[in-house]
Amino acid sequence: MITLQVLNGLVYGSLLMIMTSGLVLIYGLRRIVNFAHGSLYMLGAYVGYTVSLYLNPWAALAASALVLAVGGFLLDRYGFRYLQDRDPLTTVIVTYGLLLILEDIVQSFWGKTNYTMDAPGILRGSVEMFCTSFPFYRLSIIIAGAVITGGLMLWLRWSRMGLFIRAASTDPVTTAMQGVNTDRISGGVVALGAALAGIAGVIAAPFLSLSPTMGSDILIDSFVVVVIGGLGSFGGAFIAAMVVGQIQTLGAVYLPEFASLLPFCLMLAILIGKPSGIAGSRV
Amino acid sequence: MNEAYALEVENLTVRYGGVVAVNGVSLKLKRGEIRGLIGPNGAGKSTVIDAISGRRASTGKVLLDGREISSLNVVQRRWIGLSRSFQRTSIFPAMRVRDQIKVAAARIPDCDVDELLEEFGLVPFQDKVAAEIGYGDQRRLDLSLAFLGKPSVLLLDEPMAGLSSEESRRLADHLQNLTRNWGVSLLLVEHDMEIVFGISDVVTVLESGKLIAENKPDIVRADPHVRAAYLGSAA
Amino acid sequence: MKYSMQIFRAAALVVAAGAVGACLPLLITSANVLSLMTQAVIYAIGTLGVGFLLRQNGHVSFGHAAYYGLSGYGIVLCSKFLGLTTGPAILLVISLTGLFAFVVGLVIVRTPGIAFAMITLAIGQVFYILMAKARGFTGGVDGLVVEMSEKIFGLSSNLFGKPGSMFVVCWLTLVLVVFLLSLLIRSRFGALTEAIRENEERARFIGYKTVVPRAAIYTVSAMVCALAGTLSSLYSAFVSPDSLHWSLSGSLLVASLLGGTSLLSGTVIGAAVYFLLKDVLSEVTTHWMSIIGVCLIAVIVFWPEGIAGGLSRGARKLRALAGRS
Repeated sequence: MITLQVLNGLVYGSLLMIMTSGLVLIYGLRRIVNFAHGSLYMLGAYVGYTVSLYLNPWAALAASALVLAVGGFLLDRYGFRYLQDRDPLTTVIVTYGLLLILEDIVQSFWGKTNYTMDAPGILRGSVEMFCTSFPFYRLSIIIAGAVITGGLMLWLRWSRMGLFIRAASTDPVTTAMQGVNTDRISGGVVALGAALAGIAGVIAAPFLSLSPTMGSDILIDSFVVVVIGGLGSFGGAFIAAMVVGQIQTLGAVYLPEFASLLPFCLMLAILIGKPSGIAGSRV
Repeated sequence: MNEAYALEVENLTVRYGGVVAVNGVSLKLKRGEIRGLIGPNGAGKSTVIDAISGRRASTGKVLLDGREISSLNVVQRRWIGLSRSFQRTSIFPAMRVRDQIKVAAARIPDCDVDELLEEFGLVPFQDKVAAEIGYGDQRRLDLSLAFLGKPSVLLLDEPMAGLSSEESRRLADHLQNLTRNWGVSLLLVEHDMEIVFGISDVVTVLESGKLIAENKPDIVRADPHVRAAYLGSAA
Repeated sequence: MKYSMQIFRAAALVVAAGAVGACLPLLITSANVLSLMTQAVIYAIGTLGVGFLLRQNGHVSFGHAAYYGLSGYGIVLCSKFLGLTTGPAILLVISLTGLFAFVVGLVIVRTPGIAFAMITLAIGQVFYILMAKARGFTGGVDGLVVEMSEKIFGLSSNLFGKPGSMFVVCWLTLVLVVFLLSLLIRSRFGALTEAIRENEERARFIGYKTVVPRAAIYTVSAMVCALAGTLSSLYSAFVSPDSLHWSLSGSLLVASLLGGTSLLSGTVIGAAVYFLLKDVLSEVTTHWMSIIGVCLIAVIVFWPEGIAGGLSRGARKLRALAGRS
């Protein structure tokens, strides 16, 4: 029984990992805490849902990623670019305003009902592992999470673009002076971050189903992960995502009444001891 | 107080990361003395000031007027008379000049705000917001906050940074007068050699965290090791 | 102007404002309008709590709703388990809130920037979850009815439920809070906390301990929110976990930014405008969230100092016109 729950924890942790990769990318490059990230996730899920009704789930994934990528690029080009030098509070408010707008958009087009989305055909069914029967779709989420985050980290570490991104994250001014077009990179990175949120939404839809509150639900958990892990750190976010994923899932089973408290208690404990989070960073 | 030395530093060592920024530095400041602290870039001068003022952790002993203060924190050290200014101007940008001085003076009994404003030439700007006054005036504000309450020992970290040579000279004269009139002892880190050699009673030279020379200005100036240290770092 | 003259002038303004506000229910007879105004005033008091913390400490709190909501629950629980009448219960709850906030403040004011905001978010949500889940104690998500004793501080408790009389109570409370906060801001302690906000390190190098003053400001802000929450629960005779949710904290924060924190009057006006705007819009259109979102973005981008900034600028221009500068 516990194996099953641990596996479920890995699923949620993987989802959080995909979400927070986007947050970390955006924060790293633009120093912006994106309050609207949960809404982007939600938008991705709903867009994916609609596309999957007419086409297939794979097209849904692609459509969602594309729509969100374009949206993210525009957001950076016409929004974040002008805000990054302002007081961080300004960006919090602006992204909060964006959250309100996106929630309204979702509610206007899709209403307030919950929807369910089916997993793609070939990913249905269960698989026997670790003495328990585990839905194959959930396993594929874990795999997807690993592939996406692993790929992301490798790309950042070894590619030329990745080098530019890491440089721009550390010191945007100097990097720009070296001739790197930081604005274009930021546009790409925010687009990627938004796309990741959308992908997370589509992937989560068969697992968690769609609801008007799905955005804020995962937003809080994502923030908890990012802050515990250390703002701007992928490695820290990874560890934190796995931990929070386990806490949420095991908590829901063994301590149902107060499970939702646990991530916050963990965050409090860590922040009070080490405000820069596990990996430590620019707070 | 009849203590021989206003400030004594024994075997001060500062380590961070794998680097030893300050390596066993010792010095003794007499009451009313102006001590120049020079050295090539990266010698550890600012770090010494940070360590003595308590801003950075260090090993070794610091004594103020004969009293050991090594275990005291920044706030406590200021209370008993060890004050400092900052290389990068550290003031309260959104507050008016007069208000800042008033707040700072509030914890010191019988502190004359107007006298301080006069002394540091801040009277014309007293009602202006600090962020809006000129750079030189901001530096003097930074200094005035350090001089408030006539502390025993003042650590000044490149007070002339960014000032024109005219302004620097005037400030140097001003510091000399204050030291004589107010009886404070001064440890001055500065890059402008003319100024330092001009007003210091004794000059201490650091290189790579170690003390390599300490003597009257003329002797230090002629010291071949000191020259080598500067030339070496420039090469 | 001398401090004592300032106090005198402020006191005179307070009395005048109080009197004007107290007369409004005589002129406005619609119970709906009065009710809306009452709620706007309560909201303004809550916003003052959050805005004051932002102003004096530069701290962003996403958890002040906890203080707002817990005060209501506190009153109910004090009556149930301690047998207190409502009046003493209110005093006890606000005092305990202050004590609790001070202890919390001592711990958390040291944390910088975003970490502070996240900590407050976490604390707020912890209390939200506790209140929502502890059904036995708190009635869970359904909330609790606030049963009031017959008299509260000598006044009939009916007064607190009726829009007209409650408006006067809330308005006078608002005026008093504004007065006390402005005294605090203008005092030496206020100047000290502003200095600490501006440059904490330098404040320490001047010889000031910085943790206790900032914790004290946090405490004051928490108590102001608790006061607002008390009024709210007395008015609606009801408390629910929603009054602790981070979305309320966020809303108060947004209102304080719209109003601007440089002038207390700006915060109050901003809060009232924001509250009424939300209320009116939500009746008129289902897209009120988008409109608020757009307005929010517009205001913060083009008028970062909020309404207070506009007021200050206006006041400066008036003074310049009048020949003084």
